[in-house]
Amino acid sequence: MKKIAWTLFCIPFFLFGCSGEQTVEVNNTVNNETDVGVREVINNSNEVYAGNAIFVDNQLLVAVQAKPWLDYKKKKIEKNLKKQIEEKFPDLEVFVSADYKLFWETQKLLEEEDEKKISDEVEKLKDLAKEET
Amino acid sequence: MDQQQYQQIEDKITPPTPYLKNIIKAFLIGGLICTIGHAITYFYIIFFDFTETTVGNPTAATMVFLAMLLTGFGLYRKLGQVAGAGSAVPVTGFGNAVVSAAIEHKTEGLVLGVGGNIFKLAGSVIVFGVASAFFVALIKLILVSMGVVEW
Repeated sequence: MKKIAWTLFCIPFFLFGCSGEQTVEVNNTVNNETDVGVREVINNSNEVYAGNAIFVDNQLLVAVQAKPWLDYKKKKIEKNLKKQIEEKFPDLEVFVSADYKLFWETQKLLEEEDEKKISDEVEKLKDLAKEET
Repeated sequence: MDQQQYQQIEDKITPPTPYLKNIIKAFLIGGLICTIGHAITYFYIIFFDFTETTVGNPTAATMVFLAMLLTGFGLYRKLGQVAGAGSAVPVTGFGNAVVSAAIEHKTEGLVLGVGGNIFKLAGSVIVFGVASAFFVALIKLILVSMGVVEW
């Protein structure tokens, strides 16, 4: 009985890994073209399983989540994505991060409507991402 | 009875060490401690202004603090009996080493007792930690200046 209960307890932990579909969300009230373009870039990267993109004025904040086994090359993934997006939209000021904090906060920003608040928050997150200590 | 005979008898009587069982226990409980640590990491990321780069310090501090409380209440000893290396290798083992030494030498006074002995066990961890960090940084500096890797 104890053994069965233990096995049943353990099964969900093995199944968590199976629920994997790429989710990309973009907040964009201005331009449809950039929206699709950014979505495409994130979708094409097969090292990333989720991404949020926030547009404010001519700034773009992209927060992505690297696949579990690729966590160690986050910096490389960030660099690649940044390069790709900048190539596509040279007039945008792009900031890419694979940090969970930025992903969590941008998730909240997607539902935020107040433009001023979003802009402030994006500035704050950029500063936070540069923090080393 | 010479020494060899004695050794033979000793080997016969001593129960075999259950290596596999110990390893599994250490793996599971060490993993559990690390899972708790990861939960604390996410707690700090979500509710405070910490990123994945900066969250390591408060997490380690919290884990050490928890281990100190458990040591003070005498619970970490029981955990150590079951888990062995699983409870000593994570950073909680460091907290345990500091506090248990402090408690042990409390009767000898605050300065020469606690102050002199608090890092008796953990001191080597700090010394080798600092020394190896220095050498790793030196190697990385050489590699960066040679252009093999980036910072």
